[in-house]
Amino acid sequence: MINFEEELKKFHPSLEIEEAEDAIYNQDMTDMADLLVGLIKDDKEGNNRTGKKHL
Amino acid sequence: MICYNCGANLTDHDFCTNCGADVGIYKKIMSTANLYYNEGLERAGVRDLSGAIISLRQCLKMNKNHVDARNLLGLVYFEMGEYVAALSEWVISKNLRPTKNIADDYLNMMQSNPARLDTISQTVKKYNQALSYCYQGSYDLAIIQLKKVVSLNPKHVQGRQLLALLYLNAEQWDDARKELERCIRIDVNNTTTLRYLKEANTVLEIDEAMTPPTKKKSITDTVTYHRGNETIIQPLNGKDTKMSSTIINILIGIAVGIAVACLLILPARISAAAEANDAKLKEIGEELDQKNSTINSLEQEKNGLTARVEKLENELATYTGEGGTISAMDNLLNATVAYMGNPEAESEVAAYLDQIDAGFLDQSTEAFKNLYNLLLSRVGAGVGTTYYEEGMHAYQNEMYDEAITQLTKAYAYDSTNYDALFNLANAYRKAGDKVNAISCYQTLVDSFPDTDLATRAQSYLNELDID
Repeated sequence: MINFEEELKKFHPSLEIEEAEDAIYNQDMTDMADLLVGLIKDDKEGNNRTGKKHL
Repeated sequence: MICYNCGANLTDHDFCTNCGADVGIYKKIMSTANLYYNEGLERAGVRDLSGAIISLRQCLKMNKNHVDARNLLGLVYFEMGEYVAALSEWVISKNLRPTKNIADDYLNMMQSNPARLDTISQTVKKYNQALSYCYQGSYDLAIIQLKKVVSLNPKHVQGRQLLALLYLNAEQWDDARKELERCIRIDVNNTTTLRYLKEANTVLEIDEAMTPPTKKKSITDTVTYHRGNETIIQPLNGKDTKMSSTIINILIGIAVGIAVACLLILPARISAAAEANDAKLKEIGEELDQKNSTINSLEQEKNGLTARVEKLENELATYTGEGGTISAMDNLLNATVAYMGNPEAESEVAAYLDQIDAGFLDQSTEAFKNLYNLLLSRVGAGVGTTYYEEGMHAYQNEMYDEAITQLTKAYAYDSTNYDALFNLANAYRKAGDKVNAISCYQTLVDSFPDTDLATRAQSYLNELDID
């Protein structure tokens, strides 16, 4: 049996045309590729720091 | 596929041949993104729109620059009636790839029709308003608002789902099922739609199971009997319509029909006929005015032409008539010919010259006058004497009219012959023409004042003045 109140909570207001611009600008565009590149970059920087210490 | 580090094209190796970066995991991520895109494409192809949205979102989580996936996601949103979400995806896609992008066409399609954009805006506002009514507990108002939403945008799946939910809550199972079936036609595998539909179907099946079958009319509700070779089947509860009531009903119908015709149709017909007649009369009047105008103009033209003909006839008469130009010219030429043939033939020349009208001489050309005067001077004296003698002979025989004619000519040919003038005046006096007599006497007195005849003429003038 469907719980009407619970089902109702699943519906959310739609974006109006005037709000579309803000929604586009505020959209989180980070993807897996960005995360990977970030991780690789962090890893390289970590290695560099370690290498410098050894030196 | 390009290297995330240096932008060089990648090969089959797990490292970049240009910068040496490790691209093994990166390539796997890109491949997974493509896998999700293909899955989304397949789902969209079989109208599993909600499934397609999930796959395409996964694809974009892997690779945000996947323009095809973004464009397809926009199309799927558009098909589900979520136009603002579709526009957002296309705008982002256009920014990622400004040229050679199909999203450009989609955006142009949307923006080139302001009415459609306005409808979209209205739909979104009404949907949000309906949702607000739902939160407030005004479910009836929400249903009204959602009906407007689906009327403006029949593909608005969320709107239909919410409407179906409200119907389910109001136990309007049939209405809910209809809305959900329309949702299924747009998005075949939407979990929410399928769940609500299952709920509605369950309740409806229970209802059908509990409702007793409707009683069908038995054939025993009729009476069957035979008349001759015919079998007559008559319903038991059938009303026996009487012939009289049928006729009355028909008559009432006819009367009502006639009344309606009189009240509604006839005035309209009369009005139409009157308008047609007025229009025809107006047309005839205009035609009549036009014809009258034509007649007037033709009459004026005719009068003008008649006057012109008369003028031309008069002009012609001055040329061809008696005393006209041609006649005068002929007489002058004849006189000239006669004179040149025989200068002594004075009477013949004079006869021709006499036929030239004195009035014409005033209007004639200088050459004509010169020739006329030349001939007159050559033959004038002799002819004048002849006329004088003939005139005096007539005068003495008391033939005054003849005398007047001859003496007039004598004076005309010889204007120094005052005897002719005096006797002409006497002939007028004796003929009873006082006016001409006085005129001749006065001319004599004025032109030849020192002569005896002038004295006598003066005495006659005095005498005539006293009379």
